[in-house]
Amino acid sequence: MSTVATIVLRRPVAAAFVVVAALIPVTVPAVTGAAPACAAATGPHAALVIDTGAGVRSFCVALDATIVSGIHLIELAGAQDHLSYGFGSGGQAVCRLAGVGPQGDDCFSDYPQYWGYWHGDGHGGWTWSSSGAASARVGDGALDGWVWGSGDSGASHPKPPLTVIDDVCVPESTPTATPSPSRATPAAAAPSAGVRSSLAPNSPGPSNPENARAAKPSNEGIGKTSAPAGPPTAGALAAAPGPPPASAGPGPGLLVALVLGVALAGGGWLRIRTSRRGRSSA
Amino acid sequence: MIDRRAVHPMAWIVWATSAGFVAFVTTDPVYLLLLWAVSWFVYAGHRVDAEHARSFRLFLTGAVVAVALRTALVFFGTVSAANTTFSFLEGLRLGTILVIFGTFNAVTDPFGLVRMAPRHFHEPALAAALALSIAPRTVADVGRVRDAQRMRGIRIQGVRALPALAVPVLERGMEEAHTLAESMDARGHGAGRRSRYRPQPWTGAALLIAVPAIAAAATFLAASVGGWAVLHPQTSPIVWPEADLLLLAAIGLLAVPGLVGRPER
Repeated sequence: MSTVATIVLRRPVAAAFVVVAALIPVTVPAVTGAAPACAAATGPHAALVIDTGAGVRSFCVALDATIVSGIHLIELAGAQDHLSYGFGSGGQAVCRLAGVGPQGDDCFSDYPQYWGYWHGDGHGGWTWSSSGAASARVGDGALDGWVWGSGDSGASHPKPPLTVIDDVCVPESTPTATPSPSRATPAAAAPSAGVRSSLAPNSPGPSNPENARAAKPSNEGIGKTSAPAGPPTAGALAAAPGPPPASAGPGPGLLVALVLGVALAGGGWLRIRTSRRGRSSA
Repeated sequence: MIDRRAVHPMAWIVWATSAGFVAFVTTDPVYLLLLWAVSWFVYAGHRVDAEHARSFRLFLTGAVVAVALRTALVFFGTVSAANTTFSFLEGLRLGTILVIFGTFNAVTDPFGLVRMAPRHFHEPALAAALALSIAPRTVADVGRVRDAQRMRGIRIQGVRALPALAVPVLERGMEEAHTLAESMDARGHGAGRRSRYRPQPWTGAALLIAVPAIAAAATFLAASVGGWAVLHPQTSPIVWPEADLLLLAAIGLLAVPGLVGRPER
């Protein structure tokens, strides 16, 4: 309980969610991973669909401006739903999402595999983004999709599963557990897309959110768990568990580097000093 | 004048090229800052006791300015922690290459290199050597003129010191160029007759400078091509840079010349 207490003290905003969620018997990691207020889609929202090839995750992201960039949408998903990400080229390109993709600043070091960028057309389909994520404009109700795969254009790169905005951002007016027809469409389409298994659990047990949650690793940051009354929305399944968050701190190599650097700098300084002394005495 | 027994200049060319290559392929601040330390260490062990060895300080200043300017470029666009870090690392890479070049300048005599140029490239090599040495020689001259003025009790401060400084420095430069031309003519340069007087041998020390440096560059090349180590750390969001132990060892190899030391005269 002390963990909850510290969380409450540190983040008063999140405290309300913790208190509400604590009434339901779920573990603390699951609660902390479920802070976002996305299920009730008030204010400007956009959907973010991330297909790692091994699974699909989707996020309903509350926008902090009327128009944001595709990059900022990912940052918001990271802040709201603990999506792990890494950008390259000084924050202009997407290297790594949900633990998939190259580490470091070069986003094409795993080429031909890379993160393809798609925009939802509003009817469940997707179009290949003609601009980079840093300059793409994402507004209320928009859909952004990222797919890990190969192919240099929308013709050859794999597409995200069929999705409409209501699959991800549940309208407030329909707080029912019964899946709507629009949601059933992507669920049915998913198996035909190949290995994408993430949508499958929704089909057999569409009205059982507790089962869906139990099937997931509890410490993965999954956006939808904060909607206890909401339906099991599409794509809430996690991809392969990613590495721990990047803020893990310096590794052991840095210590070695520090020792080496101090030794070199100190050695050089000693050398200069002794040679100066030798010269002045001579 | 200057002790030239030290090492074959080619060894230093190999060292500087390798170290520069290492700096070129990475933006990891750990490796780059270590290269600054390596340059300093090698400079401390090998600096030639001539005025142009002061160029290390000149290049060090230039490097710091380069880092600052490259980082300041961010302020022309949207400023964020990510792109500021990115710019800083890019600038640091440029600065590192400058520092390495400064070390190269301080440990070897550019004119020693002219002798090694193939006959057909002699004149371009001479031009390059003159160009390389003009800045450090000017710095040295400024120091000498100021010393002379101080000894005579002349103290001029600020902008007005410039003409008083520039005239003797320029005059000295002309004189030196003239002396150089005469001495080169006397040694048969420029006439197609190449002096073979005192050819410089490849000593053990020269091999100890060149071979580890090549190994270091090869390791970084392998990491760059093979992708088994992160050479460009992620800047958005900012993460702790990683330091691969093998690559740290490779940078350590670049410091080997500093351990060998310069023969005492």
